[in-house]
Amino acid sequence: MAMYTKEEIFLAISTVIDPEVGFNLVEMGLIYDASSDDAGNVKVTMTLSTRACPLHQMIIQWVKEAVEKLPDAKEVDIEVVWEPVWNITMADDNVKKALGA
Amino acid sequence: MAISQEFAPPFKLIAPFFILGGLFYLVASFFVFGFSLEDISHFSPKTIAFVHLFLLGFVMMTIFGAMAQLVPVVLEVGHFGVELFYAIWPLLLIGTLLMVFGFLYSPALLPYGGVVVLIAMMIFVMEIFMTISKVEKLTLVMSSVLIANIFLFFGIIVGLLMALSYAGTLSLDIPSLLKSHIYLVIGGYINVTIMGLSIVLVPMFTLSHSFSLKPLSIAIYMMSIGVVSVVLSTLFHSDILANIGYFLALVSQFSYIYIIYIIYKTRPRKDNDVYAISLMFAFFSLIMALVSGVAYFAFQNEALLLVALWLLFFGFFGFMITGHIYKIIPFLVWFERFSPLVGKQKVPMLVDMVPYRSSQAQLIFSAVGVLLVAFALLFGVESLLGAGASFLVVGAFAFFRSMLYMINFK
Repeated sequence: MAMYTKEEIFLAISTVIDPEVGFNLVEMGLIYDASSDDAGNVKVTMTLSTRACPLHQMIIQWVKEAVEKLPDAKEVDIEVVWEPVWNITMADDNVKKALGA
Repeated sequence: MAISQEFAPPFKLIAPFFILGGLFYLVASFFVFGFSLEDISHFSPKTIAFVHLFLLGFVMMTIFGAMAQLVPVVLEVGHFGVELFYAIWPLLLIGTLLMVFGFLYSPALLPYGGVVVLIAMMIFVMEIFMTISKVEKLTLVMSSVLIANIFLFFGIIVGLLMALSYAGTLSLDIPSLLKSHIYLVIGGYINVTIMGLSIVLVPMFTLSHSFSLKPLSIAIYMMSIGVVSVVLSTLFHSDILANIGYFLALVSQFSYIYIIYIIYKTRPRKDNDVYAISLMFAFFSLIMALVSGVAYFAFQNEALLLVALWLLFFGFFGFMITGHIYKIIPFLVWFERFSPLVGKQKVPMLVDMVPYRSSQAQLIFSAVGVLLVAFALLFGVESLLGAGASFLVVGAFAFFRSMLYMINFK
């Protein structure tokens, strides 16, 4: 049985905020999937709003650190994917509304 | 936390480029006071001094600083030798001053200034070439960086030949060399660089996606062929080649404007901050410059050529650069000062680091200044020139103040 649900991992990652747009990565729709095994090893599949993001390495580090704050989290594996390509329709409605999309 | 510095060079390395660029923008604005409509001609030493002050001191200085940070972002590899940038800004500073004083007071200084600028730019170009050599597969944007720097390489060699001729060391055909120099540096380097980088940066800041890069591809290749055509026309004294070059450059610019328009229309992020409005004014200036340029070819009136160049330099280049400064400096300062605190304490957002009043003041005063000077040149009204210069100086002070605020943000 998984130690953490997808929702619990997403909640942990929702503390990470993109400093350019001011929204967290989950509501931006940048976190595609998350799962954990019964030992507490976590895998996160995510993307970035652009391949040329200068904060690429840092954002991955922040996501890793946010997940590691879960009390029984062990190894955290972050996979950055570029398919499907992120677009604004993946963001929550509050983000779209705030941006005027 | 082991964060690689590859993608964000230390701010102390880049800061001098931006601070000096801002100072040159201010000095160039003051310089406009020194002109009267009678002595403005695109061949006069005072005009050439002003153009070098603006293009070398502000445009190139700022672009080189921005490239120190943006090249790894665009090329997705670390710099070959980012420390080389510590040598580039002092050399570019000294070379620019020698050239400006040379044009104004003593042509004998020009070869020295030209050589110092040449060394600064050769270091820059070679660093970029070595960095590009680390890239396994070149994308269109990466190719644009390569193409732009090849043009810069030849542009500065032609520039040095001109400096030697101007000082009397060599006897060459200066008007022909001037045309090649202008097209290689302004069309080939500055324009292609702006095209390539803006297609990375504008969608990044507006969150635009899913647009075709075909118009950019057309823009870059048309400009490249156009520049080569104009250079060849000076070698073979061919009007046909020159006209083909002008036409292709025009097609290139409209293709570039088209892709920016598509990005603008489809952008999810609709807030019109100082960045967005700066870019709107920049592209308005570019369109007006093109209209004026076409009108010059139709009517052969030098005032139209001066208006086109003015709008291209202070309107398009000026606002593209100042607009991006409001994004680039906050990012660099935030990265260095606040990113280590993420997760430990509340940190500011990048937008919090941009001073609202002085940035808005810069936008309004600089834009009004650009338009007033353009009208002064077009209609020959001396008083408008002075009024425009006054607005430009206030705008430049507001820009410099905004820059210092962002750099010192704590």
